[in-house]
Amino acid sequence: MTGSTGTPPLPLDHVLRSLRERFADAAIEAEPGRRREQRVAVPAARLSEVAGAVRGWGGSLITAFALDEREPHGHFRLRYLFSMAQEDAVLTLESAIHAGDPHFPSVTPEVPAAHWLEREIQDMMGLLATGHPDPRPLVAHDGWPRGCHPLRRDFVPPGDMAWPPRFAFTPVEGEGVFEIPVGPIHAGIIEPGHFRFASVGESVLKLDVRLGWKYRGLETLARGKRIAPALEIAERACGLCAFSHALAFSGAVEEAAGVLAPPRARALRSLAGELERIYNHCGDLAGILLDVAYAVGAAEGQRLKEVAQQACDALFGHRFLRGLCVPGGVTRDLDDARQRWLRALLARLRVDVEELVRAATANDAVMDRLAGAGTLGPEPARDLGVVGPAARACGIGHDVRRAHPYAFYPDLDFQVPVRSAGDVSARFSVKADEIQESINIIDQTLLRLPGGPLLTERVVPPAGRSGLGLVESPRGLLSHWIRAGEDGTIDEWRMRSASHANWPAVAIAVLDNIVPDFPLINKSFNLCYACVDR
Amino acid sequence: MWEILLHSLRKGVVTAKPAAPLPHDLAPAPRDSAGPIELLGEALRSEIHRLFGRSMKLRHVDCGSCNGCESELQALLNPFYDLQRFGLDFVASPRHADALIVTGPPALHLEEALRLTDEATPRPRLVIAVGDCACSGGFCAGSFATRLGVHEVVPVDVRIPGCPPRPEEITRGLLKALRK
Repeated sequence: MTGSTGTPPLPLDHVLRSLRERFADAAIEAEPGRRREQRVAVPAARLSEVAGAVRGWGGSLITAFALDEREPHGHFRLRYLFSMAQEDAVLTLESAIHAGDPHFPSVTPEVPAAHWLEREIQDMMGLLATGHPDPRPLVAHDGWPRGCHPLRRDFVPPGDMAWPPRFAFTPVEGEGVFEIPVGPIHAGIIEPGHFRFASVGESVLKLDVRLGWKYRGLETLARGKRIAPALEIAERACGLCAFSHALAFSGAVEEAAGVLAPPRARALRSLAGELERIYNHCGDLAGILLDVAYAVGAAEGQRLKEVAQQACDALFGHRFLRGLCVPGGVTRDLDDARQRWLRALLARLRVDVEELVRAATANDAVMDRLAGAGTLGPEPARDLGVVGPAARACGIGHDVRRAHPYAFYPDLDFQVPVRSAGDVSARFSVKADEIQESINIIDQTLLRLPGGPLLTERVVPPAGRSGLGLVESPRGLLSHWIRAGEDGTIDEWRMRSASHANWPAVAIAVLDNIVPDFPLINKSFNLCYACVDR
Repeated sequence: MWEILLHSLRKGVVTAKPAAPLPHDLAPAPRDSAGPIELLGEALRSEIHRLFGRSMKLRHVDCGSCNGCESELQALLNPFYDLQRFGLDFVASPRHADALIVTGPPALHLEEALRLTDEATPRPRLVIAVGDCACSGGFCAGSFATRLGVHEVVPVDVRIPGCPPRPEEITRGLLKALRK
């Protein structure tokens, strides 16, 4: 993909015109947006209808969140951000919710991708989504005291801090139906989550996923912090996608400040982002093979992950690339000798990954387990707003690096591997192909590495300005949104990871599969818990 | 079969061999905490023999970490470190465990789970806090939804700081735990 030439079409023109024509009565005011974001104010009563129309016109939901603006304005503000991928534009629908009547009509029936986001808005902000098909708490475990909404500006932590987890589960009844509770502590070195299976014989009838166990209140914690400590929090929201988080956060701060990282920094950001994808995907291939008891392949995949992580450590000083990306650029350079070393290492890695994939896919015992397991169709995937390799494994070719190019990607020529089967085997192949493509991207970047500085001057966004950072993390679309406060602080921060978008799809993909295949199916998505719970 | 053997001969033994050594002049200055994994492992093996007769079993409890510590704990079992060869392994049940490895600040939501897991572990047992969060709350310190370290919920015997600690550092910490 190359940078667009000529005069690009005005972003969203057509959609905005349609919006005005069709919803003239809904008093929509379109205020001119910044670089790529167009905001449209909609009365809450019409929100669902307008959101449905935007989705019909090709918008896909990036995130949705609420802001507490009671202090100056006497209302809460809801924001639904849609990606208009064909034009690298973001359309934001805004609604003011009066503080005295904290209800809003749920958008989920029209845009199912908002499902978990609206449940979270209920927990975090205390706004009720009326008409939501499943309004149970998401993050707030049922032991939370009444009126505990951590993202309200006047939030005071409750005195009774011991929150015993109690859940309401959807009961499944009938002859021969068994309930299998699993977690939150699992039998392995894995993150905590509770899964409630309803099964008939060995088949899964229903899966209820309850997360929120790792809730650390990060968005509340970051409020009012200066940029550097806030970045530290953003970067540690997730261990395995640390670089992507730092990059998305830095992108948001840079957009708010109106600065751009220098070319060499942008190139190194793409390079590091692809290194992160390589070590994650190698680990994922290993995980999938481990869960089908193909020990040799699993060991090799783990070895390749270790090789990539040691390279991260040797080149940038951290096995998870922490501390590399900061608002304004990157902190470390790659000299010529290190570049040559990295290229040689990746050339070997490329052959090793090829060999591993060939051996695994040629093994009938492995393919017997992978093929047809955990199939996710394109329709539920589209409805639920599935992102990343999981979406690309069922024919949805969405990739942030293409749709909203950042870092060095506008200057790079790369493929986005897509499969159509939507099963574990397709997700395995997409990830395997992405490793090869990531190596291509790094090779290209090194060939065309621009010179110049690594960091711009101080990046201090003016108070009140907001910015949005979008990144294709190893697991898919990641968004960080910030609003700057006084003196270079972060006033509000909202984050949504790819795992947050994809978890509801796991519960669909596992249906009618046998219970023993759940670990395999789960591993093929390999979703994170920490960045969902936050 | 012959192909596999040939392949193995070509690739050699990967265990504990630097996966991708930088040329000597480029290599970063050695970190004092990291030693050759073989030496650490042998020391670990003799301590495990002294204390447990044959092997030591660990049960991991994630109490709200970022998944970084988990990744490094998993790395202990990869072909490069392969701690199993020194008599160390992770088990699925606390009933089989000699020690708990706890990560995370802990998050309040997981306190009860941690307490129950600890109660289910036969005595005597070691509790090892891995990562800055588990040692002192780490970057979460100050949040209303977390504690300032695992010791606020269950007694801790050994702390292994780091964000996250490298696999060598975890190994060294385990050795320290056994020598205590």
